Amino acid sequence: MKEKTIYEHLREKGLSRRDFMKLCGTIAGMMGLELAPPVKALGKLAHPTPAEVVAQALTTKPKLPIIWLEFQDCAGCSEAISRSSSPLLSKLVLNDIAIEYHETLMAAAGFQAEKAKEECMKKYWGKYVLVVEGSPTLADDGIYCVVAGKSNLDLLKEAAAGAAAIIATGNCASFGGIPAAHPNPTRAVGVADLIKDKPVVNIPGCPAIPEVTTGTILHFLVMGELPKTDELKRPLPFYGNTVHDHCLRRPFYEAGKFAESFDDEGARKGYCLYKLGCKGPTTYNACAGLKWERGLSYPVQSGHPCLGCSQPHFWDGGGFYEGQSAPTIIPDKGSTATLVGAGVAVGAALAGVNAIKKNRAKKALTKNAGPEAKAEPEPKKEA
Amino acid sequence: MNWTEILTFSRGPLLHVALMIFIVGMSYRLVRVLLLGWERDRVPNKGSKIWGVILNYLKGLVVLPFIPWVRRTFRNNALTFIAGGLFHLSLFVVLAFGTAHILVWKSLCGISWKSLPTPVVAFFSATGIISLIVLLINRLTHPVLKILTKLPVWINWVMVFLPMVTGFIMARHLWFRYEVIFSLHLISVSLLLIWIPLGRISHFLFYFFSKTIHGAQAGKRAIVP
Repeated sequence: MKEKTIYEHLREKGLSRRDFMKLCGTIAGMMGLELAPPVKALGKLAHPTPAEVVAQALTTKPKLPIIWLEFQDCAGCSEAISRSSSPLLSKLVLNDIAIEYHETLMAAAGFQAEKAKEECMKKYWGKYVLVVEGSPTLADDGIYCVVAGKSNLDLLKEAAAGAAAIIATGNCASFGGIPAAHPNPTRAVGVADLIKDKPVVNIPGCPAIPEVTTGTILHFLVMGELPKTDELKRPLPFYGNTVHDHCLRRPFYEAGKFAESFDDEGARKGYCLYKLGCKGPTTYNACAGLKWERGLSYPVQSGHPCLGCSQPHFWDGGGFYEGQSAPTIIPDKGSTATLVGAGVAVGAALAGVNAIKKNRAKKALTKNAGPEAKAEPEPKKEA
Repeated sequence: MNWTEILTFSRGPLLHVALMIFIVGMSYRLVRVLLLGWERDRVPNKGSKIWGVILNYLKGLVVLPFIPWVRRTFRNNALTFIAGGLFHLSLFVVLAFGTAHILVWKSLCGISWKSLPTPVVAFFSATGIISLIVLLINRLTHPVLKILTKLPVWINWVMVFLPMVTGFIMARHLWFRYEVIFSLHLISVSLLLIWIPLGRISHFLFYFFSKTIHGAQAGKRAIVP
């Protein structure tokens, strides 16, 4: 029997055609589609509008099965999705697209849940999208994160083998995140460090912005491929600009007006938070554009400097409240004194050797000159 | 290796090693110069050593760049004097009052102060860069300077120019991605820190010693330094 399309599913649930078109427009906007590129998923389609591209995909494609695995994480990214400010999108992804396996959200538990996953993988082998939240761990064959008696490494390799694409959501799955912070006892790494034979996209953030995760999933659904990425495998529609680029405090940065502390006059006036440790200039994320809570606000707007949570190893990149220009390794008083001492010691030693050489040379000169040299001062006296 | 990793490396280990070499190198150079020894100054004290030192600093650091007729240098070699003066002044303003640099001093010394408005710092930064280019052209075209200039001088110029120009591009957000130009700035600064003890840019420290000693000698003889 032919599988039902997403549109048919939605119609069955009572979605009107008008609402469907609204949804398509929202999805197109969320995906950052301005002018649709040639659409692989739809065959030859000459310059359709972005909403039409989405509509075409939803009316012709069946549900996109998603398997969502969690490794070393806090479930914050799942939490963010489930409380997403755009209920339409998260509902679409959670209920209609649809997530077949998610340890935190699914009703099933234990053997029942594992069985559901195995059946899903078998049924949709080569077609499902694997979303990974949390970092895989390499130390001691991955025994520090075990689910249903299997190490996270085995679970990841097993699920990745049948995946059409892999989405690593959150900084942990993307780059190792907080579990990979120094000294990284479990040898946590990003998913892309382990899986090389499948397309992987990173959605870093702590947590990842839910609209970015859903937007990327929808991009795969609509276009049939993952979005274009930067050198860190982050989708360019969402990570093409820095937080600083779109910051609403940017004019104050340009004018050189900075908050010196969290409660000074500058902070109250909304001045730039660069001096309070903002990492916005080097952080690529869509915070300043999409924001949180239905576009209500984001950290910098609320008065807190950007932590750089979508960048690799942000946890070890200097103090959160240290200026970004400050060196990350600062010589302490003891080591500075040792270095000065070393320089002084070598300098003094060489100066000593030099002095000895000079004296010897002087003596040798006096010796060679003989009595004439000694007699030299006498004419001076006469003068 | 991507630019984010290069930035992490240049902000961390590279800058750290460069700072260590700088501290050891400058301590070494200072001791070597101080231990060269000097002759005892047997001239009887006719004036005030301290006044001589103060006067010397006033003329050299404070008054000199702003009152051009104080010294004959201005009459003899105006271009070197103006460009050189502006370069040193600009460098000082940018290093001492640029916001990003204040954060560096804060992390190293624990103290910070108010920064100048960004456009003012940008103006001085551009002035410094233009001055340096003018000095280079002067050196390339001046018949005597051309003969006197050897390889270390060219290296000095490049070592100072690179941090200044990368810093300006970074602060103005021009052309490059921020982490790329930030990394290049830090790499060039690290190279400069390593180079300073080896070359004549170390005069930034020796200057104060020579200025003090010459001022004291002049003051002792009751003459204007």
